[in-house]
Amino acid sequence: MPDSAADLPEAVERRLRSSAFTSGLSVNDFAACLHMGLRPVAFVQGFCVMQWSWYGAGSPYMRGANPYSGRGGRLYSESFGCPHGYVGSDHRSWGQNFEQSWTEDAWGLGFGTAYRRMVEEATEAGAHGVIGIIDTSRHLADMGVVEFHLTGTAVVVEGAEAPPEVWTTYLAGQRLAKLIEAGFMPVSVAAAMASVRVWDVCVTEYQLRGQAYTGSVGMRGGFAGMANRSGVGGPGGGFSGRGFGGGLGGYAVGGEIVQLGRAHTAARRVAREHVRSQIGNDTLHGAQLSVNEREIGEGDQEVTCILKGTRVRRFKDFDPLPAPRPTVTLR
Amino acid sequence: MSPSEPGRPPARPPAEVDVRAELLRAVRCLAHPTDQARGSTSDLSIDEALMLHSVGWEPIDLICGVSLESIPYGVWNWGSGEIGAASAAQTQAVQAAADRLREECLSVSGYGVVGVRVELEVHRHHADAVLVGTAVRPADAKRAPASPFVSDLSARDFALLASAGWEPMGLAFGTSFVYAPRRSVGKVLSQKTQNVELTNFTEAMYSAREAAMERMQSSAITVGATGVVAVRVEEGPMPFAHHSIRFTAWGTAVRPGPSGHRRIAPQVVVSVNDARSQFEASALRD
Repeated sequence: MPDSAADLPEAVERRLRSSAFTSGLSVNDFAACLHMGLRPVAFVQGFCVMQWSWYGAGSPYMRGANPYSGRGGRLYSESFGCPHGYVGSDHRSWGQNFEQSWTEDAWGLGFGTAYRRMVEEATEAGAHGVIGIIDTSRHLADMGVVEFHLTGTAVVVEGAEAPPEVWTTYLAGQRLAKLIEAGFMPVSVAAAMASVRVWDVCVTEYQLRGQAYTGSVGMRGGFAGMANRSGVGGPGGGFSGRGFGGGLGGYAVGGEIVQLGRAHTAARRVAREHVRSQIGNDTLHGAQLSVNEREIGEGDQEVTCILKGTRVRRFKDFDPLPAPRPTVTLR
Repeated sequence: MSPSEPGRPPARPPAEVDVRAELLRAVRCLAHPTDQARGSTSDLSIDEALMLHSVGWEPIDLICGVSLESIPYGVWNWGSGEIGAASAAQTQAVQAAADRLREECLSVSGYGVVGVRVELEVHRHHADAVLVGTAVRPADAKRAPASPFVSDLSARDFALLASAGWEPMGLAFGTSFVYAPRRSVGKVLSQKTQNVELTNFTEAMYSAREAAMERMQSSAITVGATGVVAVRVEEGPMPFAHHSIRFTAWGTAVRPGPSGHRRIAPQVVVSVNDARSQFEASALRD
């Protein structure tokens, strides 16, 4: 869908020109916003339905193909070597964790498009900002089809000039008032998804089955460009566990499942880095982090992490509120 | 610096804030980029962030620590006593995850981590520990301590604890998995038509409880704490091995700060709100 407001459906433009306003705020939030000088103008929405045809079964990036030749591993990729040599055709002699940048891009495109459409409606309504945003995403009939839906209430700041861009926030009402009082102005919502695919190496397989194994896996790779900040990266990467690093000297059971631990850590950190790239030097407030793990096939898993929150900018110096006074209520 | 020490920026006196004027001032900042040196991320709510600010602290970064430990095959088969491999696996997973959280906190110059969400799962062949929280520091921080604290207390509880002169030291954790021993065939038959206590399960629960609580207290002592607050427990049979009883306990290890305990002396208030909060048409007929 084109970005231009001129391409909004005609019915939308006609409705937004109506003299009656609409709002998705609760009565409490509505009253609080009026008190702050925010005037609701329209209940705005954005939709986007995405199909991920390259995702899951039928993916060209199936086990056996080298993701390094594709676009994988933008921030993170790591390979795990088998210590056993050739054992058999079904032996997982190598394993990989890699960031699926194409999946992340598809999620970002879906969310971003729905967001832009919502902001487009707000712009058309002459709003300065959108508050009380609620975003949902759900699978439609097919597992490969996802609907992104954002709603919010477009508002005008009474007595202020229109900002360079419409500002947006998940907050509304008293929570927004407290944010302003604390010295932070919302800039925009920020959201990103990270997806890490895990192709188990033999030792990981043995550990997940609780079986005894020999040797230690060799690791290559890590977080590209994140090593200094995260402290995890490069060969070996700083992870250690029982059963690893012992060469081929005898059997071991248990121990840390290093490959999966690193995949889970990477998914969360990559999501944070994606959001960080969106917020610049501003602050991400009220972040929500959700993680999903699913098994695509035997020895083939995917860990996805969605991180979202409100990007806020400090407009005055650190100015703490008085320490709240504890109270005990008599009933 | 501990949260209970003096030296934090003085909080401004209570005053009526003109939010409308503040909003007009705030929107003007959108025309200019921020002058902050580095962005920060936090999963604290606005209330929690304000509570943290009120005691002179600020969030730095959203950080995480993850560890999965393998549990050897066959440990869930019926036996007697403690299932040592499972207890060790979960303990190792939590310790490794906490260590990574601490390392990441240090890498962003944090003094500690608050509001840590503790997500624990035990599967047949692996125990998972995921810790996610916000690294924090005093607003006037100079240099991070060598060993930051990890706490699952909310920022509100952290601030309240600081007001009372106490400081968090770390996450105290203990777990134990114990087999509920088999009853003899004769006992099973004799109890079949009776309403009796199954002492094998009761004893297994007590055994797991004692071991887990003791380990949690030991881990608190190890980090130099004098006690554990906000203890949470999870207990019960494992869904995939009903004869295996699990007891897990964790909380935040604390100790009094340099100035010792301070009495908070909360103000007693009485609400004068009408007890009936909503209009009910039926009330007109009373």
